[in-house]
Amino acid sequence: MPVLPTSQAFLEQSALLLQAYPETTRITTKYHYPTERRAEKHKRQRSQAKKPSETESTPSTPIAAFVLKTYNPSTGICLKYQTNKLQEVGRLVTGLGKLAAGADVASLGLSGAGPVDVEMVDVNEDGTQANVNANATATANAGAKSKGKKKGGKGKR
Amino acid sequence: MAPPLSHDEFFSSLTTLLSKTTEQAHGSVYLTQKPMPSSESTSSPSILIRASDGNTNAPNPKSANQTGKIAKNRSSKVKFSTVVKPEDLEAFYTRYAEICKTGMSGLKKRDRKRKTKAKGGASKATKA
Repeated sequence: MPVLPTSQAFLEQSALLLQAYPETTRITTKYHYPTERRAEKHKRQRSQAKKPSETESTPSTPIAAFVLKTYNPSTGICLKYQTNKLQEVGRLVTGLGKLAAGADVASLGLSGAGPVDVEMVDVNEDGTQANVNANATATANAGAKSKGKKKGGKGKR
Repeated sequence: MAPPLSHDEFFSSLTTLLSKTTEQAHGSVYLTQKPMPSSESTSSPSILIRASDGNTNAPNPKSANQTGKIAKNRSSKVKFSTVVKPEDLEAFYTRYAEICKTGMSGLKKRDRKRKTKAKGGASKATKA
C-alpha cells in the first residue's frame, strides 16, 4: 500500500488506476482525528499549561488528518496520500472531481502546474521536482526539433 | 441502504457531520466516490458519493453478553449518499470543495509567519 509523497503524484497515479479499471475503482476521503491514548492527552494538556503565552496561537485540540485512498478491489491496488494542511483540501477535492469526470493524466498535470506550495517544493527537491524539470526540458527540446509543432501543452509553463 | 439524497440535502447533512466532528475533536468522516453500477453505457457513468461517520451498528462481539447496555450508549451510524450525473459534476465539486474546506477546520491552517518572512527577504534582495 504505497503512500505517495505529493498530492500531484497521487492524483496522477489515481488517474492511471481509474483509466485501467474505471468501473470498480473507488476513491475514499477520510477526515479524522487521531485517537489519543490517555497518557498522550495528559502530556499535551500539561505542555500547553506550561506555556500560557502560546495557548492562543496553538489550538488546544489535536490536529486532524486528511487521508485519500484510491482502491481497486479486484486487483487489490491501493494508493494513499495523507496531509494535515487545510490549504491542500480545496485543490485535492477539485482534483477528485476531475478524476470522477474521467480526466486523464495529461489534463491533471497541466492544471496542477499553477499554484504549487513552497513547502512542497522543498520536500521533493531531490526526487520528483527534478523529474518534472527533466520532462519539461525534454518536451521543449522535442518542440524545437519539430520546429515548434508541439506548441502549447507543457512547453507553455 | 437509504435512497440517495438530493445535492442540497447531501451538502447540509455533510456540513452538520463535519462540524460535529470538528467540534468534538474526535471521530472520523468517510467520503467515498465511485461510478454508479449500471448496465447501461459506461462511457460517462453517474458518480455515487457516500458519506459516513465510520461507526457500525453491529454489536460489539467482545461484549456479547451485555449488548443491551453498550448499544444504548453508542450512537448509531450516520450514513447518507447522493448521485451526481456527469453533466452536474463540475458544479457539484466546486460546492463540495468549498464545504470540505470550511468544514475541515481541524486541519492545520496556513502558516502566515513564514510567508511574511519570505516577502521581507525578497524585497531586500530587490533593493540590494
